[in-house]
Order: sequence, then structure tokens, then C-alpha cells
Amino acid sequence: MTNAMTETSAQARETLPAKMSVKNLDFFYGDNRALKSINLQLPVNQVTALIGPSGCGKSTLLRVLNRMYDLYPGQRAVGEVLLDGDNILAPGRDVNALRSRVGMVFQKPTPFPMSIYENIAFGVRLYEKLGKAEMDERVERALRGAAIWEEVKDKLQASGLSLSGGQQQRLCIARTVAIQPEVILFDEPCSALDPISTAKVEELIDELRQEYTIAIVTHNMQQAVRVSEYTGFMYLGELIEYGLTDQVFTSPREKRTQDYITGRFG
Amino acid sequence: MAEALLSSMAKSDAVDIREKVLRRFEVGDSAFHTITMSCAITVLLLLGGVIFSLVYGASPALRQFGFGFLTSHAWNPVTENFGALAAIYGTLVTSIIALLIAVPIGLGIAVFLTELCPYSLRRPIGIAVELLAGIPSIIYGIWGMFILAPFLQAHVEPAVIATFHNIPGLSQVFAGPPYGIGIATAGLILAIMILPLISSISRDVFNSVPPVLKEAAFGIGCTRWEVVRRIVAPYTGVGLVGGIMLALGRALGETMAVTFVIGNAHKIAPSILGPGTTISATIANEFTEADGALYTSSLIALGLLLFVITFIVLAISRLLLMRVEQQGAR
Amino acid sequence: MASLQASRQLRSVIAMALCWVSAGLGLTALALILGALLWNGFTSLAPAVFTQMTPPPGAAGGLLNAIFGSLVMTFFGVLIGAPLGMLAGTYMAEYGRGSKLTMVVRFINDILLSAPSIVIGLFVYEIAVVPMGHFSAFAGSIALALLVVPVVVRTTEDMLNLVPSTLREAASALGLPRSLVIRHVAYKAARAGLITGLLLAVARVSGETAPLLFTALNNQFWSSNFNAPMASLPVVIFQFALSPYKEWQQLAWVGALIITMAVLALSITARIIGAQRTTK
Repeated sequence: MTNAMTETSAQARETLPAKMSVKNLDFFYGDNRALKSINLQLPVNQVTALIGPSGCGKSTLLRVLNRMYDLYPGQRAVGEVLLDGDNILAPGRDVNALRSRVGMVFQKPTPFPMSIYENIAFGVRLYEKLGKAEMDERVERALRGAAIWEEVKDKLQASGLSLSGGQQQRLCIARTVAIQPEVILFDEPCSALDPISTAKVEELIDELRQEYTIAIVTHNMQQAVRVSEYTGFMYLGELIEYGLTDQVFTSPREKRTQDYITGRFG
Repeated sequence: MAEALLSSMAKSDAVDIREKVLRRFEVGDSAFHTITMSCAITVLLLLGGVIFSLVYGASPALRQFGFGFLTSHAWNPVTENFGALAAIYGTLVTSIIALLIAVPIGLGIAVFLTELCPYSLRRPIGIAVELLAGIPSIIYGIWGMFILAPFLQAHVEPAVIATFHNIPGLSQVFAGPPYGIGIATAGLILAIMILPLISSISRDVFNSVPPVLKEAAFGIGCTRWEVVRRIVAPYTGVGLVGGIMLALGRALGETMAVTFVIGNAHKIAPSILGPGTTISATIANEFTEADGALYTSSLIALGLLLFVITFIVLAISRLLLMRVEQQGAR
Repeated sequence: MASLQASRQLRSVIAMALCWVSAGLGLTALALILGALLWNGFTSLAPAVFTQMTPPPGAAGGLLNAIFGSLVMTFFGVLIGAPLGMLAGTYMAEYGRGSKLTMVVRFINDILLSAPSIVIGLFVYEIAVVPMGHFSAFAGSIALALLVVPVVVRTTEDMLNLVPSTLREAASALGLPRSLVIRHVAYKAARAGLITGLLLAVARVSGETAPLLFTALNNQFWSSNFNAPMASLPVVIFQFALSPYKEWQQLAWVGALIITMAVLALSITARIIGAQRTTK
């Protein structure tokens, strides 16, 4: 839908401000250099897809954007990652505050061991003190925003684990959306889901784009085409090509991109 | 023709031999099966035997005192009047004190080992904590008696008594004189003994939480404490309780660590700084000198009581931990 | 909102600091206990400990009869208990896997594993001391055997369950009957684990005092008579530590040191063998 654009609007998009910029980023697992001089932008209110074969570093890159790697010693990032002009890799930055602005949805649905209502409310309560009526409204808004309200509105007290896989993943999206981040990172969000749930999640991502900046890692190229406006192709830790999705998939500049897209390797 | 005859004889010989071997296999197989099954059943017989012999040995005392055995705190070998209450009281109070101290510290150690400890130190420190578990209980006993009790008597207990002296209610719980030995000391020693048990079971249970669940919590900006308290703990709740109950079961039955420091006085007093006794300490101290059938029988009755209590606690713990194992397998 | 953030951070920092403190407390306790043991034990350690018998009050002596008694009764306890436990564990892992009997036996066994050992002592008193009319090393060995059984049952079942079923299937495909598959293939594959279990059982039993208190009792002199009371390290420590005699108390510390070193050596050996298994 949005990927059928005219040249003029394409050019207009090219000048969109970047919500997050990655500048000369290197990433190390111990002594192993997993990301090499990455330069990338996440334009505001757009979906940027990261594609590439297994092990190319796309998930690693995503996890730098919310400093998830901080949890594990021996992993370090060198370079700059700017969120609204601020370098989030600078020492002394509040990581929890960062994660309240940059949310993440994981490959495996991870509902917390709580009721559906609590799953949402828990995150909200971390940052705001709301009365019951306000919280109820926030929870409903989040669940609507994840297109799951109709399915769970009568069983908000049921355990989050009682939902199907696709519903759990949408619950996780609702949870992320409830704390009102600015950026949402999706790490292969549909790889554990059936085709119908996948379609629902992709629809959701498209809607979320209007309010949030989105980055999605996917090994499914058709998904990248369906969902994103910008695509970055990565291979062996390097960003080989980055540009408008249309252009990357129809007339890639690099031969390696071409080979990957046409299935020569993968 | 002769060769054919010979070869057919050889074949039937071979068949014969094979048949003999197979029959031997069959007999051997069923014998092995029977032997192993009998050994497995023997474990059950063992339990039955223990219960039966305890009941048998305790019956004279139980017949004599009836239910009053549980409610009387008399203990007079001369008049042959025995009651279990002082021992029960001591057993329960020392175990509760032990849990109050060991559970928070044990859980703290488990959180430390799974969340905070530098990776290279995790194995050594984990092993060190398990070594604490392997130290025989009699070592705890003599350490308690020769080292801890004098220390408490000289430095800690006077301070505690003075602190609570004027607070109504608590002043009776922490009343002097400072013996050094007593219920509180026994509780403290028990706490050190069950600490490694709680921490290693809790650590194993914490490690079973899928990392992606913790990452999801960090991902929405939770602090480390919030992840532990709101995500890890509820997820592992059943396992933690099972581990704590296992530690309780051990504490209730512990003999040697307690006998040295409890003071062996058959009395119930409000102050935990005073001497008391536990079921196992009573049996250990008095059994070989018990003269008179009623005395011996009363001690065995105490043993039966202890066995019943620990059996119930350990059974609950087993059921809870079994549920965790099933959850893990799914 | 910033103050909410700040208080959350503070709470987390305090909680994590408390966890560090807990770890410190645990390690401190270990250091204090081992330190006292090493200090008091080594200062009284002398060759006489291993060459002389336990002395009468006030005199100097050694622990030879106690060490011997412990070794002998532990040996026979393991000799009786380990095969019983191993065969039971074999049944549970090989023949009865998943059966109701196995589930019940495992449940009961785990309870016996953690049951108070003094109760086992009372049981053996009833079945061995009373009929025989006197205390004996025989009764002591039985008591130790009964403590060995649950440990060995548990480790045997766990180790045999780890042997992949493909291995057993391959052996059966050659025509081996069940019992030989178990004895020649499963046991060999689980050998390191089974030995580990055995060492752990010995370590556990070596420090047990309560079950020996009224089965083997104690003996001031050298005895190798199974039909008579026999000295053992834990019981001697018990007696000597509670006494008012300085020489006896010192011997109690030495005995404690010997037991602890033995138990630690067994545990470490068991760990090394167990680790070798996993790296193969």
C-alpha cells in the first residue's frame, strides 16, 4: 500500500528527519568484532527493515539501539547512536530512561507471569502514578492499539499465558505501546507465529507507524517489502546497502544485495 | 551325502547352542528383573519398617500418656512422667529462627549468583557455598559450642539484652542472663546449615527462567530489582517454596549441630536467649542413659513424632518441586 | 516522574547491595568455620593421633581405634547399601521408567534422603540392637547402609536416565537381552556418574553421628569385633567435645578436621569425575 509511491513523495521522504542515527558503530562480543562501522538512520514515523542472512548482525544492531547488550559483560559498542541528537552510548546515560523511550518486541512472545491487565499496568506503573479509572483507560487504549482489545476485554484478569501465541505477541506489543515510547524495535516478531497472526501483526505495525518510529529485523524478505519504507541489507557485520525499500528490492546498487534478494545465497 | 548329513548336524548343533544361550538369556533376564524390582520395593519396605518399629517402640509410652504426651512439658525420669511439649517447642522455635535468618540471606545469595556476580566468579563462589553444605553437622556443633557461643555470650547477647531491656514484650523475648548457648544460638547455627541448601535450590530455580522473559522486562525499563521481584520471583514461586520447605525439613531433624548449643533443658521459657531442647537433641543426649522401659519408649515416641512432622514437611516440599520439574519439561 | 525514576533506581541499588552483603555473609561463615577447624585441628595434629588409641580422661592419646571404626563401618555400610541402592535405581530407570511403582519409590526415597538420621538410628536400634541384646558394629554398619541407600538410588536413577536410549537400542539390535544391555552398556555409559554418586554417599555417611550413637555406641579400646561396640570418629568427637578435659577437646578438633578433610576430598573428587563425564 504505502510502498507504491510517486517519485516526488519519495524525494520528500528522503529529507525526513532521523529519529535515531547510528554513526560509525562497531560492536564487539569479547574480541570478536561483530558490527563494522555501521552508519544508518531511522527516519521518524517510518518503518525501517533490517534484512540479511543468519549471523549478519541485524539483531545485534537492533539490540544496541536500546542498549540491551548492557546486560551481558564482554559485549561492548563503540561509536555513536543518536536519539533526537543525543548520544545514548555516552557514559552516564540513564539506561532505564532510554528503554522507556525505545521499546522492544522479541521473537518469542514473553507475557509476564501476571494477568492480562497487570501485564499492561505493570509497565505503566513504573513511570506514572495513575488512579484506577485512569489505569483502566490506559490499559484499554493499549490493548486497542495492539488490536487485541475485542478478544480479551472480557478476560482481563486471566493469565497472560492463557492466550494463543499470536495473541501473546500482540499483548507484548500492547505492553510496549502502553508506556508510550517513541521508537519501537521489533526483533523477528512473527517468526514464531502462524500466517494469520503474522498478517495481524504486520497490519498493526503499519498502523503503529503513524505514531512511532519503527525498526524491524526480519529474515522474511516479503515481509520487509510489505511493511517497510526503508531497508538496510546487512552481511557479515557490515551494512551493505541502505535506502528506500522499493529501490533496494527493485534496483539494488550492490551486487551482494542483488544476490541475496534473488536467493543466490541466504 | 555324508557332508550334507554332517553339515546339517553341525547346523542343528549350532541351533541347539543358540537355543541354550537364548534360554539362559531368558532366565538371566527374568532373574535380573526380579532382583531389581525387589530392591526397589525394599525402599518402600524400609519406610514401612521405620514407621512400624517406631510405633511399636513408642506404644508403651503412648498408651501410658495418651494425647497428653503432646501437651505436657514435664520431663521427669524419676517419677517417669514424660511430655513432649518442651521438645516440640524447641524444635519449632529453633527451626523458625533458622528460616527467618536463612531464607532472606539464601535468596540474596541466589540472586547474587544469578544476576550480580561476575561470570568468572560464579562457579567458584557457587562451589564454595556448596562446600558449606557438605560440612558434617557435628562440625557445626563443635564450632558453635567452642567458637560461636562464647563470642555471643561475651559480645552480642549483653548488647541485645540491654537494647531490648526497656521495650515491653520484647524485653521478655530477649531476656538475660547471657548464656551464649540456648535456643537463639541453636537457631543461628541451623540457619548457617540450611543456608547453602536454600541458596543452591533457589539458584537452580532462578536459572530456569528463560532469559528472553527477563530481557522483555528490562526492555520496558525495569530496574534489576523490579525484574527479580516482579518477574523472576513469581515465575519461580513454587520452586522457591519447595526449596524452603526442604530446608525446613532438614532443620527440624537436625541433631548434632543443635545438641551442642541448645543447653538441654526441658523447659519452655519466653526468652530465646535461654536454654531449651529439641526432639533430636533430647534423643541424642538421653537415649543411651535411659533406664526403664517407659523412659526409652518415651524417647522413641519423640522420634516417631519427629518423623511424622518431617515426613509431612518433606512430602509437601517434594510435591512442590515435582511440579516445578514438570513445568520445566513442558 | 523523575523522582519516581530516582526512587526506583535507589530501591534497586539498595536491594542489589543487600544481595552482595548476603553473599559476603555466606562466604564469611564458611571462612570462619573452616578457619577455626584448621586452626584448632592442625595445632593438635600429631603422628600420635594416628598411632594411639583414644585415651582415658586427662591423658594424651590418639584416635586410631575411632578412625579404624569409622573406616570399617563406612566400608561395610557402603558394601551393603550401595548394591541395594544401585539395583533399585536400575529398576526405576530401566524397567519401570514412568510406572506408578517408580513414581512412588522415587517420592518415598527422596523423603528418606532428607529424613532425620537419628530416626534411622532408632529404627536400627529396634531391629538390630534389641534382638541382639547389645550394641555392635554390625548394627552401626546397618545404620550407615540405610543412609547410603537413598543417595545411591537417586544418583543411579538420574545417571541411568541420562544414557541416551539410542545406545540401548543399538545394543538390543545386536540381540543382547535386557539384563546384559543394562549391565554391559548402560552401566558403562553411566560409569562416571555412578562412581560420583558412590563418592557422594560415602561423603555423606562419613560425617553422620546420630545413627551411630545407639547402634555401635562407642569403644574406648581397639576393637575389630563386629559383635561388639566399636568406636567411630563422629561419636568420639561427640563424647570428647562435650567433656571438660582439655586433651579430649583437642582430640575432638583433630577428629573434626580429619572428617572434614575426608568429606571435602571425596566431594572434590566426585566433582572432578563428574566434570570429566560432561566434557567427554
